[in-house]
Amino acid sequence: MSKFSDIEIDPAIVRRAARGDGKAHEIIYRAFATPVYSICLRFTRVPVHAEDLLQETFVEVMRSIESFRGEAPLGSWIRRIAVSKALMFLRSAWHRRGQSLDDDWDETTPGRAESLGLSPHPDTAMDLDAALANLTPVSRAVVWLHDVEGFTHKEIAEFMGKTESFSKSQLSRAYQRLRPYLDAEAATALAPLDGRAFGPCLRG
Amino acid sequence: MNCGLTVAEREVLQAKLKELPETMPPRAVWQRIRRQAEAEGLIRRVPEGLRWTVGAAIAATVVLAVLRLPSAPAPGSLAEGELPTVPAYSPDEDGYLQSINALMVQSQLLERDLRRLHYQPQVMRASTTATIDDLQSRIAAIDHHLNRTDIRMTRQEQEAYWRERVRLMDSLVRLRYAQAQRVSF
Repeated sequence: MSKFSDIEIDPAIVRRAARGDGKAHEIIYRAFATPVYSICLRFTRVPVHAEDLLQETFVEVMRSIESFRGEAPLGSWIRRIAVSKALMFLRSAWHRRGQSLDDDWDETTPGRAESLGLSPHPDTAMDLDAALANLTPVSRAVVWLHDVEGFTHKEIAEFMGKTESFSKSQLSRAYQRLRPYLDAEAATALAPLDGRAFGPCLRG
Repeated sequence: MNCGLTVAEREVLQAKLKELPETMPPRAVWQRIRRQAEAEGLIRRVPEGLRWTVGAAIAATVVLAVLRLPSAPAPGSLAEGELPTVPAYSPDEDGYLQSINALMVQSQLLERDLRRLHYQPQVMRASTTATIDDLQSRIAAIDHHLNRTDIRMTRQEQEAYWRERVRLMDSLVRLRYAQAQRVSF
């Protein structure tokens, strides 16, 4: 689970936060603000939206921390709130534009990579950040949730209010789109592993 | 269904995704959160007068702490090339000591290590600056809390705050010494 799992907060600080202690909340905020902001920025790509989502996430943490039982790490709990807020934002953005999540894939037309200054050729050095930017927001979110945060397709589907198939197809399409950007050097270095080609890409 | 990536390619992709740097949020966001939380009654509001008192208490504590700490080596007492690059303090294997007094001593030793380090890099990476800034902010937040006069903390809670302070100080010292080591090699 990304950086969230590396952060430990003493249970005594969580208990003080649950009693409304502002300083305890500030300690929690300072510990988790960067991973929360990063994930929100990764999903929205707009700093001002990420700031709003960061604020919404921590206000929600303050509202709900009394219900946090400590059965899972605090970081996992905060991450779920952040992901939920960020996806809600993406969904609302879709509604504002009169589109549904299902239309997501069709939004990005071939050639957009060139318009963003990216080369479509597979032997070009990969700028992963730019490659991610070339994905639609929902595809990007699915890739991030699955490959970085370690969520299963079932969990992603629940977050998005969609089916597992939707999550799987978004990931598969995102992989197709990211493929040209994979580093040629890495491919060469991993050539002996080609026997493992086309393993399961749709776990969980 | 074929996803178009080999297992090896997927592993490379996942590793690269995980290596992407994180981004620190602007400092002002916490102020906005605090204002909203105070307005909604989610956190206790500290009266302005008390804030001043707490500020004065922190200042007094800092002065006392400086007076109690062992003095730093006088400028020039270390010969050229003798710049300390290894902290004198090493944390226990267990990660923390039980008593608050021991944690306070650990904290003071770390402060001393930090003060012994004269080296201040002229150029620092933005990410390093941000990390140092973050550690210092978190230490300051803990100091602020430990010095609050309006809250009576249990021994366990005090211990938790001191333990967190030692952990953050340790990270800060390690970071600064790592910088010094890079320069000395």
